[in-house]
Amino acid sequence: MASLIVRKNSDNLNNAELTALRAGYAKAQTIMDNRGYNHFAGLHGIPNWYCWHHSHKQGSTVNANLFLPWHRAYLLYFERAMRDQSPATPKVGLPWWDWTSSNSHSVGVPNAFTVATAGGQPNPLFKAKIVAPTSTPPINRFTRRFPGNPAQLPTAASVTTLLNLTQFNDFTNQLENIHDFVHGWTGGNNGNIGGDMGSLGTAAWDPIFWSHHCNIDRLWYRWQLKHGVNNISPNLLPMVLQPFGLKVQDVLSINALGYEYAASFNRL
Amino acid sequence: MATKAKAKKHAKSAAKVAGAATTTDKLYRTSAVYKSPRKISVANLPSSYSRADLEFIGVDHSGASYEARVYLNNPGADADTQAVEANGYAGSYYIFGHGGCFGDVGHCELHQRDEFDPRPSSPLEPIKKVVMATDALKKATAQSSEISVTVVPIIMSWTEKTDMTDIMKFDHINLVTYD
Repeated sequence: MASLIVRKNSDNLNNAELTALRAGYAKAQTIMDNRGYNHFAGLHGIPNWYCWHHSHKQGSTVNANLFLPWHRAYLLYFERAMRDQSPATPKVGLPWWDWTSSNSHSVGVPNAFTVATAGGQPNPLFKAKIVAPTSTPPINRFTRRFPGNPAQLPTAASVTTLLNLTQFNDFTNQLENIHDFVHGWTGGNNGNIGGDMGSLGTAAWDPIFWSHHCNIDRLWYRWQLKHGVNNISPNLLPMVLQPFGLKVQDVLSINALGYEYAASFNRL
Repeated sequence: MATKAKAKKHAKSAAKVAGAATTTDKLYRTSAVYKSPRKISVANLPSSYSRADLEFIGVDHSGASYEARVYLNNPGADADTQAVEANGYAGSYYIFGHGGCFGDVGHCELHQRDEFDPRPSSPLEPIKKVVMATDALKKATAQSSEISVTVVPIIMSWTEKTDMTDIMKFDHINLVTYD
Protein backbone atom coordinates (compact mmCIF):
# COMPACT_ATOMS: atom_id res chain seq x y z
CA MET A 1 0.00 0.00 0.00
CA ALA A 2 1.35 3.33 -0.95
CA SER A 3 1.94 5.67 1.92
CA LEU A 4 2.79 9.32 2.21
CA ILE A 5 6.43 10.30 2.59
CA VAL A 6 6.89 12.02 5.93
CA ARG A 7 9.15 15.05 5.88
CA LYS A 8 10.61 15.51 9.36
CA ASN A 9 12.50 18.17 11.22
CA SER A 10 16.17 17.53 10.42
CA ASP A 11 16.99 17.65 14.15
CA ASN A 12 14.63 14.73 14.75
CA LEU A 13 16.00 12.22 12.25
CA ASN A 14 17.15 9.06 14.00
CA ASN A 15 20.47 7.46 13.13
CA ALA A 16 18.99 5.00 10.66
CA GLU A 17 17.10 7.77 8.87
CA LEU A 18 20.12 10.04 8.72
CA THR A 19 22.25 7.19 7.37
CA ALA A 20 19.66 6.42 4.70
CA LEU A 21 19.38 10.08 3.72
CA ARG A 22 23.14 10.40 3.41
CA ALA A 23 23.33 7.21 1.37
CA GLY A 24 20.85 8.59 -1.15
CA TYR A 25 22.58 11.96 -1.44
CA ALA A 26 26.02 10.35 -1.68
CA LYS A 27 25.00 8.03 -4.49
CA ALA A 28 23.14 10.77 -6.36
CA GLN A 29 26.19 13.00 -6.13
CA THR A 30 28.19 10.43 -8.10
CA ILE A 31 25.64 10.35 -10.94
CA MET A 32 26.20 12.93 -13.67
CA ASP A 33 23.21 12.13 -15.88
CA ASN A 34 19.64 13.37 -15.39
CA ARG A 35 19.09 11.19 -12.32
CA GLY A 36 21.86 12.80 -10.36
CA TYR A 37 22.32 15.57 -7.84
CA ASN A 38 24.28 17.76 -10.25
CA HIS A 39 21.43 17.68 -12.77
CA PHE A 40 18.81 18.78 -10.27
CA ALA A 41 21.03 21.47 -8.72
CA GLY A 42 21.60 22.82 -12.22
CA LEU A 43 17.90 23.39 -12.85
CA HIS A 44 17.69 26.19 -10.29
CA GLY A 45 20.44 28.56 -11.47
CA ILE A 46 23.56 27.77 -13.47
CA PRO A 47 23.19 26.59 -16.22
CA ASN A 48 19.43 26.27 -16.78
CA TRP A 49 17.89 29.10 -14.72
CA TYR A 50 14.42 27.65 -14.39
CA CYS A 51 13.80 28.88 -10.85
CA TRP A 52 10.96 31.29 -10.18
CA HIS A 53 11.43 34.10 -7.71
CA HIS A 54 9.33 37.21 -7.27
CA SER A 55 6.69 38.22 -9.80
CA HIS A 56 7.12 37.66 -13.51
CA LYS A 57 5.18 38.15 -16.69
CA GLN A 58 4.42 35.12 -18.83
CA GLY A 59 2.42 35.71 -21.97
CA SER A 60 -0.56 37.81 -20.97
CA THR A 61 -0.28 36.88 -17.29
CA VAL A 62 1.35 39.61 -15.27
CA ASN A 63 2.38 39.71 -11.64
CA ALA A 64 2.67 35.94 -11.52
CA ASN A 65 4.42 35.08 -8.29
CA LEU A 66 5.11 31.37 -8.56
CA PHE A 67 7.94 31.28 -6.03
CA LEU A 68 6.11 28.84 -3.76
CA PRO A 69 4.47 26.57 -6.37
CA TRP A 70 7.66 26.33 -8.46
CA HIS A 71 9.84 25.34 -5.55
CA ARG A 72 7.23 22.84 -4.33
CA ALA A 73 7.41 21.06 -7.69
CA TYR A 74 11.21 21.31 -7.68
CA LEU A 75 11.52 19.71 -4.23
CA LEU A 76 9.11 16.97 -5.20
CA TYR A 77 11.13 15.96 -8.26
CA PHE A 78 14.39 16.17 -6.32
CA GLU A 79 13.00 14.16 -3.42
CA ARG A 80 11.80 11.42 -5.76
CA ALA A 81 15.18 11.31 -7.48
CA MET A 82 16.97 11.00 -4.13
CA ARG A 83 14.54 8.27 -3.06
CA ASP A 84 15.52 6.33 -6.19
CA GLN A 85 19.10 6.22 -4.90
CA SER A 86 18.22 5.58 -1.25
CA PRO A 87 17.58 2.35 0.66
CA ALA A 88 13.94 1.28 0.53
CA THR A 89 13.77 1.43 4.31
CA PRO A 90 13.65 3.49 6.29
CA LYS A 91 11.61 5.62 3.88
CA VAL A 92 13.05 9.06 4.42
CA GLY A 93 11.68 12.26 2.92
CA LEU A 94 13.47 15.57 2.66
CA PRO A 95 14.12 16.91 6.15
CA TRP A 96 13.28 20.52 6.93
CA TRP A 97 15.57 23.00 8.63
CA ASP A 98 13.70 25.00 11.23
CA TRP A 99 15.89 28.09 11.42
CA THR A 100 13.64 29.49 14.18
CA SER A 101 14.45 26.65 16.61
CA SER A 102 16.50 27.14 19.75
CA ASN A 103 19.02 24.68 18.35
CA SER A 104 19.43 26.71 15.14
CA HIS A 105 19.76 29.91 17.16
CA SER A 106 22.55 28.19 19.04
CA VAL A 107 24.49 26.30 16.34
CA GLY A 108 23.16 27.79 13.10
CA VAL A 109 23.12 25.21 10.32
CA PRO A 110 22.07 21.85 11.84
CA ASN A 111 24.83 19.48 12.88
CA ALA A 112 23.80 16.86 10.32
CA PHE A 113 24.93 19.31 7.61
CA THR A 114 28.09 20.68 9.22
CA VAL A 115 30.22 17.65 10.08
CA ALA A 116 32.77 16.97 7.35
CA THR A 117 32.61 13.21 7.68
CA ALA A 118 30.03 10.68 8.79
CA GLY A 119 30.62 6.95 9.25
CA GLY A 120 34.16 7.37 8.03
CA GLN A 121 33.04 8.82 4.72
CA PRO A 122 32.70 12.38 3.42
CA ASN A 123 29.37 13.77 4.59
CA PRO A 124 27.26 14.39 1.46
CA LEU A 125 25.11 16.85 3.44
CA PHE A 126 28.16 19.02 4.17
CA LYS A 127 29.17 19.86 0.63
CA ALA A 128 28.67 18.78 -2.96
CA LYS A 129 30.70 19.18 -6.11
CA ILE A 130 29.55 21.80 -8.60
CA VAL A 131 30.19 20.61 -12.14
CA ALA A 132 29.09 23.32 -14.55
CA PRO A 133 31.31 23.19 -17.64
CA THR A 134 29.16 25.61 -19.68
CA SER A 135 29.31 28.33 -17.06
CA THR A 136 31.52 31.34 -17.74
CA PRO A 137 33.99 30.60 -16.27
CA PRO A 138 33.45 26.83 -15.99
CA ILE A 139 32.93 25.68 -12.39
CA ASN A 140 34.35 22.47 -10.99
CA ARG A 141 34.75 22.66 -7.23
CA PHE A 142 33.06 21.79 -3.97
CA THR A 143 30.50 24.10 -2.41
CA ARG A 144 31.53 26.56 0.27
CA ARG A 145 29.52 27.94 3.17
CA PHE A 146 30.27 30.80 5.61
CA PRO A 147 27.17 31.15 7.79
CA GLY A 148 26.58 34.20 9.98
CA ASN A 149 25.73 34.65 13.64
CA PRO A 150 23.04 32.07 14.61
CA ALA A 151 21.30 34.64 16.81
CA GLN A 152 20.37 36.57 13.66
CA LEU A 153 18.25 33.76 12.21
CA PRO A 154 14.49 34.41 11.91
CA THR A 155 12.47 34.04 15.09
CA ALA A 156 9.34 32.04 15.81
CA ALA A 157 7.58 35.36 16.41
CA SER A 158 8.39 36.51 12.88
CA VAL A 159 6.89 33.29 11.53
CA THR A 160 3.74 33.80 13.61
CA THR A 161 3.36 37.29 12.15
CA LEU A 162 3.90 35.85 8.69
CA LEU A 163 1.28 33.15 9.10
CA ASN A 164 -1.28 35.75 10.19
CA LEU A 165 -1.10 37.54 6.83
CA THR A 166 -4.36 36.83 5.08
CA GLN A 167 -3.62 37.52 1.42
CA PHE A 168 -1.49 35.16 -0.66
CA ASN A 169 0.54 37.92 -2.30
CA ASP A 170 1.39 39.47 1.07
CA PHE A 171 2.30 36.08 2.47
CA THR A 172 4.48 34.93 -0.40
CA ASN A 173 6.29 38.28 -0.64
CA GLN A 174 7.13 38.38 3.06
CA LEU A 175 8.05 34.69 3.20
CA GLU A 176 10.32 35.18 0.22
CA ASN A 177 11.96 38.08 2.03
CA ILE A 178 12.78 35.80 4.97
CA HIS A 179 13.95 33.16 2.49
CA ASP A 180 16.24 35.71 0.87
CA PHE A 181 17.76 36.57 4.24
CA VAL A 182 18.45 32.92 5.08
CA HIS A 183 20.18 32.43 1.72
CA GLY A 184 22.48 35.40 2.35
CA TRP A 185 23.03 34.39 5.96
CA THR A 186 23.90 30.77 5.12
CA GLY A 187 26.17 31.60 2.21
CA GLY A 188 27.75 34.48 4.05
CA ASN A 189 31.30 35.41 3.19
CA ASN A 190 34.84 35.04 4.44
CA GLY A 191 35.85 38.58 3.59
CA ASN A 192 37.10 37.60 0.15
CA ILE A 193 34.28 35.59 -1.37
CA GLY A 194 30.73 34.54 -0.54
CA GLY A 195 29.31 31.10 0.06
CA ASP A 196 27.20 29.32 -2.55
CA MET A 197 23.87 29.60 -0.75
CA GLY A 198 24.27 33.37 -1.07
CA SER A 199 24.14 33.38 -4.85
CA LEU A 200 21.21 32.17 -6.88
CA GLY A 201 23.35 30.58 -9.56
CA THR A 202 25.01 27.99 -7.30
CA ALA A 203 22.75 27.87 -4.21
CA ALA A 204 21.06 24.56 -5.08
CA TRP A 205 24.35 22.68 -4.97
CA ASP A 206 24.72 23.31 -1.25
CA PRO A 207 22.93 20.35 0.41
CA ILE A 208 21.35 22.65 3.02
CA PHE A 209 19.46 24.35 0.17
CA TRP A 210 16.94 21.52 -0.01
CA SER A 211 16.19 21.57 3.69
CA HIS A 212 15.93 25.37 3.73
CA HIS A 213 13.37 25.16 0.94
CA CYS A 214 11.65 22.26 2.62
CA ASN A 215 11.00 24.58 5.55
CA ILE A 216 9.74 27.29 3.19
CA ASP A 217 7.35 24.75 1.67
CA ARG A 218 6.26 23.65 5.15
CA LEU A 219 5.45 27.23 6.10
CA TRP A 220 3.35 27.58 2.97
CA TYR A 221 1.57 24.36 3.98
CA ARG A 222 0.94 25.76 7.47
CA TRP A 223 -0.40 28.96 5.93
CA GLN A 224 -2.65 26.91 3.65
CA LEU A 225 -4.03 25.05 6.66
CA LYS A 226 -4.93 28.37 8.20
CA HIS A 227 -6.14 30.31 5.19
CA GLY A 228 -7.20 27.68 2.65
CA VAL A 229 -5.43 25.16 0.43
CA ASN A 230 -6.74 26.88 -2.71
CA ASN A 231 -6.01 30.38 -1.51
CA ILE A 232 -4.12 31.66 -4.56
CA SER A 233 -5.08 33.85 -7.50
CA PRO A 234 -7.15 31.71 -9.90
CA ASN A 235 -5.40 33.08 -12.99
CA LEU A 236 -2.21 31.38 -11.81
CA LEU A 237 -3.73 27.89 -11.60
CA PRO A 238 -3.15 26.76 -15.21
CA MET A 239 0.41 28.08 -15.37
CA VAL A 240 3.03 25.41 -16.07
CA LEU A 241 5.94 25.03 -13.69
CA GLN A 242 8.75 24.47 -16.17
CA PRO A 243 10.53 22.10 -16.65
CA PHE A 244 8.28 19.92 -14.52
CA GLY A 245 5.12 18.33 -15.83
CA LEU A 246 2.98 20.08 -13.27
CA LYS A 247 0.76 23.15 -13.19
CA VAL A 248 0.17 25.41 -10.22
CA GLN A 249 -3.20 23.74 -9.64
CA ASP A 250 -1.42 20.38 -9.34
CA VAL A 251 0.78 21.40 -6.41
CA LEU A 252 -1.66 23.02 -4.00
CA SER A 253 -2.34 19.88 -1.94
CA ILE A 254 0.77 18.26 -0.51
CA ASN A 255 -1.14 15.09 0.32
CA ALA A 256 -2.10 14.78 -3.34
CA LEU A 257 1.63 14.99 -4.10
CA GLY A 258 2.32 12.12 -1.71
CA TYR A 259 3.95 13.71 1.31
CA GLU A 260 3.21 15.31 4.62
CA TYR A 261 5.06 17.24 7.32
CA ALA A 262 5.70 16.07 10.85
CA ALA A 263 7.93 17.24 13.66
CA SER A 264 8.72 13.62 14.40
CA PHE A 265 7.46 10.21 13.33
CA ASN A 266 8.16 6.86 14.97
CA ARG A 267 6.82 3.49 13.92
CA LEU A 268 6.07 1.12 16.83
CA MET B 1 -11.18 26.26 -7.36
CA ALA B 2 -9.92 29.29 -5.62
CA THR B 3 -11.43 30.30 -2.33
CA LYS B 4 -12.73 33.78 -1.76
CA ALA B 5 -10.10 36.09 -0.34
CA LYS B 6 -10.71 36.60 3.33
CA ALA B 7 -9.10 39.97 3.72
CA LYS B 8 -11.03 43.12 3.02
CA LYS B 9 -10.10 44.93 -0.12
CA HIS B 10 -7.86 47.81 0.68
CA ALA B 11 -8.11 51.23 -0.89
CA LYS B 12 -4.76 52.49 -2.02
CA SER B 13 -3.27 55.92 -1.72
CA ALA B 14 0.19 56.01 -3.16
CA ALA B 15 2.76 58.74 -2.93
CA LYS B 16 5.97 58.52 -4.88
CA VAL B 17 8.81 59.29 -2.52
CA ALA B 18 11.80 59.33 -4.81
CA GLY B 19 11.63 60.23 -8.46
CA ALA B 20 15.00 60.79 -10.13
CA ALA B 21 15.84 57.94 -12.49
CA THR B 22 13.38 56.72 -15.07
CA THR B 23 13.09 53.46 -16.94
CA THR B 24 14.51 55.13 -20.04
CA ASP B 25 17.73 56.34 -18.49
CA LYS B 26 18.73 52.86 -17.33
CA LEU B 27 16.66 52.75 -14.26
CA TYR B 28 18.60 52.85 -11.11
CA ARG B 29 20.40 55.03 -8.69
CA THR B 30 23.53 53.57 -7.23
CA SER B 31 25.06 54.64 -3.99
CA ALA B 32 26.38 53.17 -0.79
CA VAL B 33 23.51 54.74 1.17
CA TYR B 34 20.31 55.98 -0.46
CA LYS B 35 18.68 59.16 0.81
CA SER B 36 15.34 60.20 -0.61
CA PRO B 37 15.83 63.41 -2.60
CA ARG B 38 12.59 64.94 -1.35
CA LYS B 39 10.32 64.54 1.63
CA ILE B 40 6.69 63.52 1.90
CA SER B 41 4.49 65.98 3.71
CA VAL B 42 2.36 64.36 6.39
CA ALA B 43 -0.47 66.52 5.05
CA ASN B 44 -0.47 64.27 1.96
CA LEU B 45 -1.21 61.18 4.02
CA PRO B 46 -4.69 60.13 5.17
CA SER B 47 -5.55 60.92 8.79
CA SER B 48 -5.96 57.24 9.60
CA TYR B 49 -4.78 54.00 8.06
CA SER B 50 -4.46 50.39 9.16
CA ARG B 51 -1.29 49.63 7.30
CA ALA B 52 1.54 51.43 5.58
CA ASP B 53 3.99 49.84 3.15
CA LEU B 54 7.17 51.13 1.61
CA GLU B 55 7.32 49.62 -1.87
CA PHE B 56 10.72 49.49 -3.53
CA ILE B 57 10.11 49.42 -7.27
CA GLY B 58 12.50 48.20 -9.93
CA VAL B 59 14.98 46.60 -7.57
CA ASP B 60 17.99 45.08 -9.30
CA HIS B 61 18.96 41.62 -8.02
CA SER B 62 21.68 40.65 -10.48
CA GLY B 63 24.56 41.12 -8.07
CA ALA B 64 25.32 40.60 -4.40
CA SER B 65 22.95 39.32 -1.73
CA TYR B 66 22.33 42.10 0.74
CA GLU B 67 20.12 43.55 3.42
CA ALA B 68 18.59 46.97 2.84
CA ARG B 69 17.85 48.65 6.17
CA VAL B 70 15.16 51.27 5.91
CA TYR B 71 15.07 54.29 8.22
CA LEU B 72 12.53 57.09 8.46
CA ASN B 73 13.68 60.62 9.25
CA ASN B 74 17.24 59.56 9.92
CA PRO B 75 19.31 60.92 7.01
CA GLY B 76 22.52 60.23 8.91
CA ALA B 77 21.89 56.50 9.20
CA ASP B 78 24.72 54.29 8.02
CA ALA B 79 25.99 50.74 8.44
CA ASP B 80 26.91 51.44 12.05
CA THR B 81 23.42 52.68 12.99
CA GLN B 82 21.55 50.21 15.18
CA ALA B 83 18.47 48.87 13.48
CA VAL B 84 16.09 49.83 16.28
CA GLU B 85 12.87 51.81 16.45
CA ALA B 86 14.54 54.68 18.31
CA ASN B 87 16.68 55.31 15.22
CA GLY B 88 13.69 55.37 12.90
CA TYR B 89 14.28 51.81 11.72
CA ALA B 90 11.22 50.69 9.78
CA GLY B 91 12.32 47.24 8.61
CA SER B 92 14.55 45.59 6.03
CA TYR B 93 14.22 43.99 2.68
CA TYR B 94 16.64 41.30 1.58
CA ILE B 95 17.99 40.47 -1.84
CA PHE B 96 19.02 36.95 -2.85
CA GLY B 97 21.27 38.02 -5.67
CA HIS B 98 22.33 36.24 -8.82
CA GLY B 99 25.95 37.06 -8.00
CA GLY B 100 26.83 38.32 -11.46
CA CYS B 101 26.63 36.91 -14.97
CA PHE B 102 27.83 33.35 -15.48
CA GLY B 103 26.62 33.06 -19.08
CA ASP B 104 28.15 33.95 -22.40
CA VAL B 105 28.33 37.52 -23.67
CA GLY B 106 24.87 39.10 -23.57
CA HIS B 107 23.33 36.38 -21.40
CA CYS B 108 22.07 38.80 -18.77
CA GLU B 109 20.79 41.50 -21.14
CA LEU B 110 17.06 42.12 -20.82
CA HIS B 111 14.85 41.92 -23.92
CA GLN B 112 11.24 43.01 -24.26
CA ARG B 113 8.83 40.07 -24.61
CA ASP B 114 5.31 40.39 -25.99
CA GLU B 115 2.16 38.58 -24.89
CA PHE B 116 2.58 35.88 -27.55
CA ASP B 117 5.93 34.86 -26.11
CA PRO B 118 5.26 31.74 -24.01
CA ARG B 119 8.45 32.10 -22.03
CA PRO B 120 8.45 33.69 -18.59
CA SER B 121 10.07 37.08 -18.41
CA SER B 122 13.78 37.09 -17.68
CA PRO B 123 14.73 36.03 -14.16
CA LEU B 124 16.65 39.29 -14.04
CA GLU B 125 13.63 41.54 -14.53
CA PRO B 126 13.75 44.16 -11.76
CA ILE B 127 11.52 43.24 -8.83
CA LYS B 128 9.36 44.84 -6.17
CA LYS B 129 10.18 44.56 -2.49
CA VAL B 130 7.78 45.59 0.27
CA VAL B 131 8.65 46.70 3.78
CA MET B 132 5.61 46.85 6.04
CA ALA B 133 6.24 50.01 8.04
CA THR B 134 2.98 50.88 9.77
CA ASP B 135 4.23 51.46 13.29
CA ALA B 136 7.39 53.23 12.18
CA LEU B 137 5.42 55.60 9.94
CA LYS B 138 2.90 56.40 12.66
CA LYS B 139 5.69 57.17 15.07
CA ALA B 140 7.51 59.32 12.53
CA THR B 141 4.41 61.29 11.57
CA ALA B 142 3.69 61.92 15.24
CA GLN B 143 7.08 63.58 15.59
CA SER B 144 7.49 65.39 12.28
CA SER B 145 5.46 67.04 9.57
CA GLU B 146 7.64 65.51 6.85
CA ILE B 147 8.96 62.02 6.12
CA SER B 148 12.29 61.14 4.55
CA VAL B 149 13.66 57.69 3.77
CA THR B 150 17.23 56.45 4.13
CA VAL B 151 18.23 53.00 2.92
CA VAL B 152 21.47 51.40 4.10
CA PRO B 153 22.74 48.32 2.25
CA ILE B 154 24.58 45.65 4.19
CA ILE B 155 26.28 43.23 1.83
CA MET B 156 25.95 39.60 2.88
CA SER B 157 27.33 37.41 0.09
CA TRP B 158 28.85 37.65 -3.40
CA THR B 159 30.81 35.78 -6.05
CA GLU B 160 33.91 36.40 -8.11
CA LYS B 161 31.61 37.77 -10.85
CA THR B 162 29.86 40.36 -8.65
CA ASP B 163 30.38 44.07 -9.31
CA MET B 164 31.09 45.18 -5.76
CA THR B 165 31.02 48.90 -6.58
CA ASP B 166 27.40 48.92 -7.53
CA ILE B 167 25.31 46.98 -5.03
CA MET B 168 21.93 48.58 -4.27
CA LYS B 169 19.91 49.84 -7.23
CA PHE B 170 16.21 50.58 -7.55
CA ASP B 171 13.98 52.89 -9.51
CA HIS B 172 11.86 54.55 -6.83
CA ILE B 173 9.97 54.08 -3.58
CA ASN B 174 6.22 54.26 -3.07
CA LEU B 175 4.67 54.94 0.29
CA VAL B 176 1.32 53.17 0.28
CA THR B 177 -1.30 53.32 3.01
CA TYR B 178 -4.39 51.13 3.39
CA ASP B 179 -7.74 51.84 5.04
